[in-house]
Amino acid sequence: MLSDDLLDGFRARAERVGTDVHVVEDLGQAAVLLRAQADGREVVVAPSAADHRLLAGLGDGVRIATGEPERSADATVGVVRAELAIAETGSVLVVEDELADRLVSMLSLTLFQLVAASCVVASLDDAAGWLSRRAGAGYTALVTGSSRTADIERSLTVGVQGPEAVHVVVVG
Amino acid sequence: MSDGLRPWHERLDGALADPDVRGGLLDFQRSWRTSRDERIDELEELTGQTFDELRSQLAGVKRDVIADLPGHLANFRRNAEEAGSTVVEVGTASEAVAYISELCHDRGVSLLVKGKSMVSEEIGLNAHLEGSGVEAVETDLGEWLLQLAGDHPSHLVMPAIHKRKEQIAQLLTATLGRPFPPDDIDAMVKSARTELRERFLTAGAGLSGANALVAESGSVMLVTNEGNNRLATSLPPLHIVVVGAEKLVPTFQDAMLQVRLLARSATGQSITTYTTFVTGPRTGQEQHIVVIDNGRSTMAADPDFASALGCIRCGACADVCPPYQVVGGHAFGHVYTGAIGLVNTPFHHGLEAGAGPQSLCVSCGACAVVCPAEIPLPTQILEVRRAVAEELDTSRWKELALRAFASRRLVGAATRLLAVTGAPFRDGRLSRLPGPRRHVGWRTPPVVPLVPARSRGDLTARDRTPLAETAVTGRRVLLFLQCVTDRLDPPTAVGAARLLRAAGAEVVVPRSQHCCGLPAYDAGYWEPARRMARATIETLEGEDDVVTPAASCAIAMVHDYERLFRDEPVWQDRARQLADRVHDLVSYLQGPARLPDGALHGRSDEAVTVHRFCQSGNVAESGDEMVRLVERLCGIDVRPLPEGDVCCGFGGSTSLSVPEVARHILDRKLGCVDETGAHVVLTDNPGCVLHLRGGADASGRHVEVLHVAEFLARRLGPSPVSTPYALPPTMC
Repeated sequence: MLSDDLLDGFRARAERVGTDVHVVEDLGQAAVLLRAQADGREVVVAPSAADHRLLAGLGDGVRIATGEPERSADATVGVVRAELAIAETGSVLVVEDELADRLVSMLSLTLFQLVAASCVVASLDDAAGWLSRRAGAGYTALVTGSSRTADIERSLTVGVQGPEAVHVVVVG
Repeated sequence: MSDGLRPWHERLDGALADPDVRGGLLDFQRSWRTSRDERIDELEELTGQTFDELRSQLAGVKRDVIADLPGHLANFRRNAEEAGSTVVEVGTASEAVAYISELCHDRGVSLLVKGKSMVSEEIGLNAHLEGSGVEAVETDLGEWLLQLAGDHPSHLVMPAIHKRKEQIAQLLTATLGRPFPPDDIDAMVKSARTELRERFLTAGAGLSGANALVAESGSVMLVTNEGNNRLATSLPPLHIVVVGAEKLVPTFQDAMLQVRLLARSATGQSITTYTTFVTGPRTGQEQHIVVIDNGRSTMAADPDFASALGCIRCGACADVCPPYQVVGGHAFGHVYTGAIGLVNTPFHHGLEAGAGPQSLCVSCGACAVVCPAEIPLPTQILEVRRAVAEELDTSRWKELALRAFASRRLVGAATRLLAVTGAPFRDGRLSRLPGPRRHVGWRTPPVVPLVPARSRGDLTARDRTPLAETAVTGRRVLLFLQCVTDRLDPPTAVGAARLLRAAGAEVVVPRSQHCCGLPAYDAGYWEPARRMARATIETLEGEDDVVTPAASCAIAMVHDYERLFRDEPVWQDRARQLADRVHDLVSYLQGPARLPDGALHGRSDEAVTVHRFCQSGNVAESGDEMVRLVERLCGIDVRPLPEGDVCCGFGGSTSLSVPEVARHILDRKLGCVDETGAHVVLTDNPGCVLHLRGGADASGRHVEVLHVAEFLARRLGPSPVSTPYALPPTMC
């Protein structure tokens, strides 16, 4: 099936940059996965990802992020919504117009990006088309793996001014 | 101009005195090349297009933008303003800093956090802000460390590549007051996270550059890995973007083409961690996009330099550059480093700022091969050199020397004099001169033979029957000796002539030939170059093929003459006609004068490697032709030379004006030769022959360096001509 190929392609590329890819059937299962990964720690959910089915599944120990940075700083587990997953690069496209969404994306130590299975696309050209059609002000990003730098003698360090670990959860 | 840089000569001397700089950069260049090539292969597979096709596409996009910067900017402005941005155009660097500091002052900003921005370096923003009471803190790790050290970036993408981890550990220990072990790079990097967090949270403004401005939406594209730029552009209530208009691209589709090429060329990644599109400010934020000229419209209007505005700041041109590896970015450039820095510095910072750095270019052409925007950097650097020679050279002695060199008779007389006075110092082909170590300590000079190639009997004597029937059997071929071969390495010329005769050609050596003008062209003195080029065109005019053992001259005649005569259509036409008939010896021996396989079979126990003249690979794209020629004619296995494409360091004028740089490039090349275990090094260019031969000798290496013509011709057996004189040596 075409979409299976796309998902396989996405997974292969994402894993190459150190992203863990999980496939679940629905948001309820996503919640189970997140709870297991959080292992008792607080989960901070970006407003963009605050779907009631996910929240219901997460139960207690979850907080919806606000635009106050101090409250999101270095949240152990953060959850954001992604609009597209791009097989060509193993990236997801996130919409972060609101500061609250950005803070979870930027300041969590471990980040989970939730994307619908029907939104896995082939290439950057598809992402370009999507961006072209979305008019108006905003803040969008292609995110591929974790924050990193090799500025000191080309030695790679992951998790600089961003998450150390990035997971993509493909839902549906 | 307050760019805070020390004078160029100081930067150069400091760099040459620091072995860590060139050691670190050598490792960097090698590993960059491996990952870049892998990523480009991957891109070609992904898109079904070659790198050349893709970069041609990008160059086309940028060409259209540059041809109408005001139009595309107006489009961008309309969309950005609709998204809530303020777009302001400023002319000079000082207008830009004035606008930004007034804006900060007006909004009560006392702390500004910066994402990486080369334009902010270009305009000297930090110093100006500090002067007006705004603390500007770099947040990109490399830039932050450099700021703490009072230093400047030395590379477009890896700004702190010149720093060792021990130095950084010491810096952080001293600055932050807690110990940093030099091997715990992770801890050093993580210190940025804790130290800078508070700055992000309290800053009144955040400043970024832009990797692209997407006109169709009014978006600023930021290509990053670290995440600091995203924090800097999101948290503070004021976001300032400082950018040149040449960063415009019409659509997101165009932006993705740039994205596909940028990370692969810059860091050897398929894509960076973050590709962020910022369209307008967020709720509760102001955004000002400051679009700066600072010489860009002058570049756009100049047909020789407009294409340089297509630069996507990947740094690949620095990553393949041999002199850059030796001296690093502080000397190889001004604010902008690498080959692109040599081209744009005169426009952004004045010709004098670019004069020193451009002298380091060896014209090997490696940068043009990897540039993802298809910018003809080597040609542009020579244009800068010409401007420096014409406008800044007050001593004029170089020009006088080159004008004198244009006279064949004068050169003939001078070489005879040198041959006679140098006779006591002869040691085979080399001269054991007592001289300043700067010039002879690392490269033993050649002997000047008393009899130049042009006067030797074995050059023109029909000494044997042809070896085989070829496409040149019975054909007249004009042999162009080249000034260096003629006067300093006659066996190469004799070898070339004998090989052509072995293929059945009737070899004619026009008496009036001299120098093709390349040394003068390369040095930036185009008038003497034209004089010598005209004489060469006249000497070689006709219908016959012209063959030369000097790959550099063949390339000059085929590629550079057109440029030299661009204001003289008649000469340009004659030059083009000559270009159609010019061949370098190696390609001629693989083409029309193709002797059968095994025709020069003989000794097969020699351990041979081949150094191809850098431009043969990078400009003439000859591939491994010379290796194939030697292997098939002689039936021997040529040992592959690591970094075979990299220049030997001769670089024409460069090895005379900055010998220390030429020396280090030569060391790198000879180190690669060592790795092969070869005893014989063959090359297709006389400049390389003398440079490598002199270097091998001075370093005590027992390696024989030969032009491939001499090596192959030895296998024809000795010439029966007993006296070397055809004409009395006082003629021509």
